[in-house]
Amino acid sequence: MMVEVLFVLIVTAMATSLLGVFLVLRGMAMVTDAISHTILLGIVLAFFITNDIRSPWLIIAASLVGVLTVYIIELVSQTRLIRQDAAIGFVFTALFAIAIILVSKYAGDVHLDLDVVLMGEVIFAPFNRIEILGFSIPNALWQLSIILLINIAFVLLFYKELKITSFDPKFAYIAGFSAAFIHYALMTLVSVTAVAAFDAVGSILVINFFVAPALTAYLLVKRMGSMIMLSLFFAVLNSVAGYYTSFYFDLSVAGTTSFIALITFMIVFLFNSNGWVSSRIQKARQKKQFNRAMILMLLNEQSHESLTQEEIMSHFNLTPKQFNRHIDHLLLNEYIEKQNKKYRLTPRGVEFTHYTRIKYELPEMI
Amino acid sequence: MIDILSGYTFLIVAFGTVILAFASGVIGTVSVIKGQSLIGDAIGHATFPGIVIAFMLVGIRDTFSLALGALILGIVAFFIIQLITEQSKITLDSALALVLSSFFGLGMALMSFVQGNPNFDGTQGLSDYIFGQAAYMLRSDVYLIIAASILSLLIFALFYQQIKIYIFDPIYSRSIGISNPLMNFMILAITITLIAVGLKAVGAILIVNLLIAPAVIGQLWSNRFFHVLLIAGTTGAAAAFIGTYISTAGDDIATGPAIILVLSAFVVLSLIFSRKGLLRRSIQKRKIGERT
Repeated sequence: MMVEVLFVLIVTAMATSLLGVFLVLRGMAMVTDAISHTILLGIVLAFFITNDIRSPWLIIAASLVGVLTVYIIELVSQTRLIRQDAAIGFVFTALFAIAIILVSKYAGDVHLDLDVVLMGEVIFAPFNRIEILGFSIPNALWQLSIILLINIAFVLLFYKELKITSFDPKFAYIAGFSAAFIHYALMTLVSVTAVAAFDAVGSILVINFFVAPALTAYLLVKRMGSMIMLSLFFAVLNSVAGYYTSFYFDLSVAGTTSFIALITFMIVFLFNSNGWVSSRIQKARQKKQFNRAMILMLLNEQSHESLTQEEIMSHFNLTPKQFNRHIDHLLLNEYIEKQNKKYRLTPRGVEFTHYTRIKYELPEMI
Repeated sequence: MIDILSGYTFLIVAFGTVILAFASGVIGTVSVIKGQSLIGDAIGHATFPGIVIAFMLVGIRDTFSLALGALILGIVAFFIIQLITEQSKITLDSALALVLSSFFGLGMALMSFVQGNPNFDGTQGLSDYIFGQAAYMLRSDVYLIIAASILSLLIFALFYQQIKIYIFDPIYSRSIGISNPLMNFMILAITITLIAVGLKAVGAILIVNLLIAPAVIGQLWSNRFFHVLLIAGTTGAAAAFIGTYISTAGDDIATGPAIILVLSAFVVLSLIFSRKGLLRRSIQKRKIGERT
């Protein structure tokens, strides 16, 4: 039964991260965050009417509120009186505040636990089961699998449109693609997926499931197709790692998975081929090479043919340690030689400066 | 009505929220003008694990240490956001979403650990910091809010000229020797402090509204920086007072959400009726139409 929890988690992560790729590419991560908060209002309103937390009306109402949120944010920022980021910030908090007041005012009469809606707990997913073709499977797994299939179908069907409207909206408009249709279709699916995922991962953490795998993949690849594949891979990886970590330490599954997603992201961010660490190393190496080339170029100038340690150090503002490191390297490679405490170029060093001049298109010494 | 206004709980809560809202309105204006208003949202969420960690270390729900924990994690989150946006092609928008949800996830994981562990008592109060429970604010909470708000406003007043130049002409400000990264950090440090002390009053999710909405209102009514600040601070404070009154008068209405709703109503009204608002704009359009 516990392995069903893992299945729910993986299916949720795949359904969300598939759409997350486009959200990241379109710069709509925080709009999605706004949606994931405001769907609570839809859930609460539909719950008051139907009084059933499993009712399909909840999904419909919450998705409508999600799309409405996007619409209101666009409406407000289109007046050009409020910047888009400020519009996102105040629209979602206002709708969320209404939801909280409704819950806190009436939740006593109806059984709606704010914590469960917001935080979700995938552990409880297997308790709510449904019969499909004689098999008893968790309701959440059934719902999310259908949504995953819908999302896959959407991406396959509108792959070209999604690609063009994400990367070049102006060209898409000229070429006659309806950017608005794709946009709202995407946002509707995002809302539906977020609602379906809410009782598995909670409405705040669902944003993590949308963007974290996609962002990790975005660091590594440039092609959209490979970004989708890779983000699905990271979605599964994070889910499996999160699931086992949370079981081992007895922690909240969704919370642990979200934080592990950040760890995965940071590892890729720091150690990928043009990530933070390697770019630091590369910069240091370039600086070292440049310094050494500059020392050789100085020795190649007229009236600087042989210089003492002090002269070179003061010219480049080097510390004795730096100087020794550079000079040892140059001596070892026989670019320079030392005579009577003075350094001068060897023929090999002269040759090196000749090629350096060609490389940087500098005039040749006469 | 008089009963409520002179009630002890009301006075304590109203005093705290009004001062907090005034300071947040003023400081939030800077972030809104700079286009960084959602950083407040990310940091608001990111403070949650700080609260839980502080609780785990100290063992009791002490106002000051919890706020300190929130402050530290807020700063950590801010630096991670900076690192990601400066060192990779990832945009601020995505970085905020990633950091806010992951930190919140960490908070939830730690919270489940604390709740399942018999060594920790009194964990129920911790979730108050997510949604805010102004009604349970203690004297010490209010003192902390007052101290932090006054300190923030004082720093703001002290560096007023530099902040103004930094906001509107970053290139000039650099050329006269103001360190822009330092200014940016100072503003965010003040913002994080206000968020950390205000969590108990409005909660981690809604606090961003206190930073954004007053500034939006101010910008709708005036173009002068000083006036925008004044309007932002005053409307924030007024909304806090009305919101606290509504929540005390009506039963079972949480204070934080009530304040946010009053503020949002102010925003909608300003959007329509203010000097630059939609109503005036459409009247002017019609006038131009008639003239031609």
